[in-house]
Amino acid sequence: MDELYLDNIDEYVNDHNKIVTYKWLSLTLGVHVNTAKQMLYHYLEHKRKESSPQLHATYLVSGKSVDNGQTCHKVSVVREEQLEDFKSKMTLVVSIHVYSVQKALLRDSGPLYSVDYDAVKDNLKNCSRYSSIRCASAVPMSSVELRQAREKEQAPTSVPENKKPAVNGGASVASKPSAKAPKGIMGMLSFKSTSKNQDGSKDIKPEQKEVAPTDPPKSKPAAKTNPMANFFGSQTSEYDQTMISSPLRSTEGGVMWKVVNFKTKRIEESDSEEEKMEKKKRRRIKRPEPDSSDEDVIPDSPQPLETKDPSPKKEVEAAQLSHGNSETKVRKRRRVLKSHVFLDDEGCMVTEKGYESESYSETEDDFQPSKQPRDNFKAKLPSSSKENEKKSQKRSSASSQKGTKQASITGFFQKK
Amino acid sequence: MTTLTRQDLNFGQVVADILCEFLEVAIHLILYVREVYPSGIFQKRKKYNVPVQMSCHPELNQYIQDTLHCIKPLIEKNDAEKVVVVIMDKEHHPVERFVFEISQPPLLSISAETLLSHVEQLLRAFILKISVCDAVLNNNPPGCSFTVLVHTREAATRNMEKVQVIKDFPWIVADEQEVHMKEPRLIPLKSMTSDIVKMQLYVEERAQKT
Repeated sequence: MDELYLDNIDEYVNDHNKIVTYKWLSLTLGVHVNTAKQMLYHYLEHKRKESSPQLHATYLVSGKSVDNGQTCHKVSVVREEQLEDFKSKMTLVVSIHVYSVQKALLRDSGPLYSVDYDAVKDNLKNCSRYSSIRCASAVPMSSVELRQAREKEQAPTSVPENKKPAVNGGASVASKPSAKAPKGIMGMLSFKSTSKNQDGSKDIKPEQKEVAPTDPPKSKPAAKTNPMANFFGSQTSEYDQTMISSPLRSTEGGVMWKVVNFKTKRIEESDSEEEKMEKKKRRRIKRPEPDSSDEDVIPDSPQPLETKDPSPKKEVEAAQLSHGNSETKVRKRRRVLKSHVFLDDEGCMVTEKGYESESYSETEDDFQPSKQPRDNFKAKLPSSSKENEKKSQKRSSASSQKGTKQASITGFFQKK
Repeated sequence: MTTLTRQDLNFGQVVADILCEFLEVAIHLILYVREVYPSGIFQKRKKYNVPVQMSCHPELNQYIQDTLHCIKPLIEKNDAEKVVVVIMDKEHHPVERFVFEISQPPLLSISAETLLSHVEQLLRAFILKISVCDAVLNNNPPGCSFTVLVHTREAATRNMEKVQVIKDFPWIVADEQEVHMKEPRLIPLKSMTSDIVKMQLYVEERAQKT
């Protein structure tokens, strides 16, 4: 029984010609990483005694070393041949263990990463199950805590905004972003908002409530890169302000933003300029609760969101072999008022108006049937949203080039 | 689940794009691993979320791109049966042949969600296998060069000769000596099956290399 693992490793290394790293071994055999390291060590010893076909090994060495007069803690993966040399250069060696065993002489370290990549990806939820790195206070936040954390972030930013004049303008631009800016923000979507567009037709008060639970758009990184983000910054200041004071007539295009940090949050943009033009005097329908629940789940990795209603997973595209569609800064999402007609339990036709978010691009010409599925927040229409999901994902995989300018209402009624 | 036929050219293009991208990465990696060119011209880049080695030499890159550009139409129409990367010694006798056998199912049924990430995972496995292939192969003699051959079905090559896809980049029928190898040893490396394409990679190696 004790020797069984030797045979296993032997099979992987010699028969399958795999690179066996300790992490891969621990996940494959379901053992603690330290056990895996010892297994590899014993296997190496065993094989070296037997003088079987040549094996190569890499080691992980960590310790203190002095570089240009500065002491630093180094962690390196080194080949066996360079091991002694490397050890002698370090002032203090804290740990050495076998990193991987393989038949091939590796010319570079790329394959070592590839080996672990798939193994970790398959075990994403419990990839640290066998690890010995632990932090007792690192626990995922509950949804309540998440909301509180977001509100706390919002509050400090709204305070400085009070001092700004009510009318927007390119005026108070960069000051906004001084608020927290999470890294890796993508899709800073702002497409206008100048004081010229004083249409003032919409009452944006209900929207404020939507903004409140979300993060303030963190346009700090964007401000440096994207001039559009400047408008973004000024705009949010206004929204925040109006939240606190009295409701203002919408001056800007009434664009609503939720910040999308691709890894943690989502951006949804509501009400495009065209929408405004179409429906002048219209009250925004307050977004129902289910949407906020969508934000509560913050995946750290490209995992599907778990939402109450069957809204399609937005993070799926991260794992897709897409060409960085979600990474481009040009794609935006907007909320479009759509009405859905359906038969309810009693057989009556019911028309429900609701917001759907859809993605569009700035130019509008290359509107792609988005790889980001539409968000159907009406929980009553599960079947339709699933259809949407299937259809949009089907389209994304086929990568068809039909670019409809606008996902019309009829588009909702999918052809079966 | 949708069923698309080969006539759906869009889809054929997608498959050809994916395969040509993969072949480009694979060819660069083969050149790196088999030391056809000095490792100094290679640089680490990312593909399919893993590091791969690609060459920086502009003429080499252009040559490989032109080659694949001409192969792409063949793959689109499912005319390419095999793409072979042949490594030859100084006398232009092949010492190793990396054979990519490609076949596409005529009737494609796609399950959308998992398709692309699944294909990416399979291609990643190919890349990994190429990286470790020197464990099963003998070393090559110094001064090797390489070439790419395409085995096509039926009469596709005749069309290729008539229509030059890229100017000044003619394709010619391969010599007998480039195609056949003395006493080849067959080493299978990897195979994959997916909804859109089936691919197999094996290496034919000459028993006596030097």
